[in-house]
Amino acid sequence: MINWKRIVIIALFLAFVTASLMIGALSEVTLKALLNGDVTAWKVVWHSRVPRTAAIILSAAGLSVAGLIMQAISRNKFMSPSTSGTTDAAAFGILLAFIFLNEQSGFIQTLFAFIFAFLSTVLFTSVINRLKLREVAYVPLIGMMYGGLISALTTAVAYKFDVMEMMSAIGLGSFARIGDFSTIYIVIPPLIMAVLYSTKFSIIGMGEDFSKNLGLNYNRVVFLGLVIIALISASSFVAVGPLPFIGLIIPNMATTFYGDNLKKSIVDLMLFGSVFVLFCDIASRLVIYPYEISVSLTISVVGGVIFMIYLIRGLRRA
Amino acid sequence: MIEVKNINQSYTKHGKKKILENINLTVKEKAITALIGSNGAGKSTLLGVMSNLIAPLSGEVLIDGTDIRSIKPCELAKKIAVLKQTQHINIRITVEDLVEFGRFPHSKGRLNDFDRKKVKESLAYMSLTGLENRYLDELSGGQRQRAFIAMILAQDTPYIFLDEPLNNLDIKYSVEMMKVIRSLVTELGKTVIVVLHDINFASAYADYIVAMKKGRIIGEGHPDQVITKEVLDKVFDHDFNIVSYQGRNTCLYFDCVS
Repeated sequence: MINWKRIVIIALFLAFVTASLMIGALSEVTLKALLNGDVTAWKVVWHSRVPRTAAIILSAAGLSVAGLIMQAISRNKFMSPSTSGTTDAAAFGILLAFIFLNEQSGFIQTLFAFIFAFLSTVLFTSVINRLKLREVAYVPLIGMMYGGLISALTTAVAYKFDVMEMMSAIGLGSFARIGDFSTIYIVIPPLIMAVLYSTKFSIIGMGEDFSKNLGLNYNRVVFLGLVIIALISASSFVAVGPLPFIGLIIPNMATTFYGDNLKKSIVDLMLFGSVFVLFCDIASRLVIYPYEISVSLTISVVGGVIFMIYLIRGLRRA
Repeated sequence: MIEVKNINQSYTKHGKKKILENINLTVKEKAITALIGSNGAGKSTLLGVMSNLIAPLSGEVLIDGTDIRSIKPCELAKKIAVLKQTQHINIRITVEDLVEFGRFPHSKGRLNDFDRKKVKESLAYMSLTGLENRYLDELSGGQRQRAFIAMILAQDTPYIFLDEPLNNLDIKYSVEMMKVIRSLVTELGKTVIVVLHDINFASAYADYIVAMKKGRIIGEGHPDQVITKEVLDKVFDHDFNIVSYQGRNTCLYFDCVS
């Protein structure tokens, strides 16, 4: 049996990667120039375009996987790092690192972001699980309020320490910070862990009793999942800023086509997320070419509409 | 062999408000044991304690002489398979995915040829061949319940615990399910412990019945000994009429308008 769904997503992925590498302010960079071995063209691609495209793919794939693991752990299709305060807590961590250490190395920032993202995710998931909400569609709304609260706290602290400019700089998602993408590679180890543990995360998604019946150490797998979510959210936030809705809409869209059995679908999920963000990034670079708008803006517009559709469907089903 | 010894369980840590009180039970091998009783009698809790999903306050559950809590979870999962009431599932996995999960204790997620053979056999046994690639949310209630039992079968354990497997099934599928559970014992030699709401199904299909009330065992034995007016009136606080049908006792628990 030919897996057409997979072939389609791979083809789309390759097409968008090529497009992403070819689009830019320098018009000398063409496929022809590259094939002729033009040194300048290759330099531009290697130093500017490749890191950018890699950052897009890694952050998109990472947030998609983080979202799906979060949904499996909470058994709730409406959970995601950006709609449950995780990213806002990461921003708070970065602010504290900036204030107290005056340290701007991406790795220290990521460490602080990770610690706060982790604590906040543990807090939010355990509170949500205890609330036993009748309607799961309310969860992202509560999550966004909670995130807004953390965000307000962050702003208050930033205001007090007079570092507001720094906050507005990290508040916008962008793939345009050339050469500052190194922290995105922190996403790779948790992604590999997610692939290795894919069956276990799928089983966790079936519930605690179900997992225990199969001899799985439920708490340990949940803990590992939370670490993966926090690591991915923190490092992608430090590298490219917030990419709203990705962790929520991509798993929901992808599982419609590829199912929830992570072992089979985790690669499809990552490709699906990458294609979506590559598309949004290319759009952001083309609307006011040769300038570009923040990719969070494009994602917010496109993703926000899709999010609304899912939310309304979820509420209507109630 | 599974033996339950002096099990106590309560809502609070101090042991007030008991759910289970001094439960002692020896499970009959290669037979169906049905747990019956009204809501809140402690049937599901007992099933949970016996399958190590819930830790008891005191007492122990022995499997072949060993306390189940001292057995490694992945080893216990090869001896006891337990299916709790299947709630609403919002996860998109196929029937085959689900049944393959049943091989997890053996394969740790990497299926070999033997695992695949077991999955195929379980699917065929539950007459799910041809539905392997359907998503669970596309199935009828009866088919979905069969898929879960197929998973339990693929787990390949001598003991199978089922918590109200007839929940949400209509009459046709309930009878079908009881026949399948019966055949697990007669054809595959499994030992089945099942929580049943419908006492007539228990009477018709079980080999041994345990009747519970307020966390205690009120009566146990062959259906003929338990499905009697004396025992049931006490267990359910209700007035029962017992009639004989095809050699087994059947309960009539309401009067018709005259």
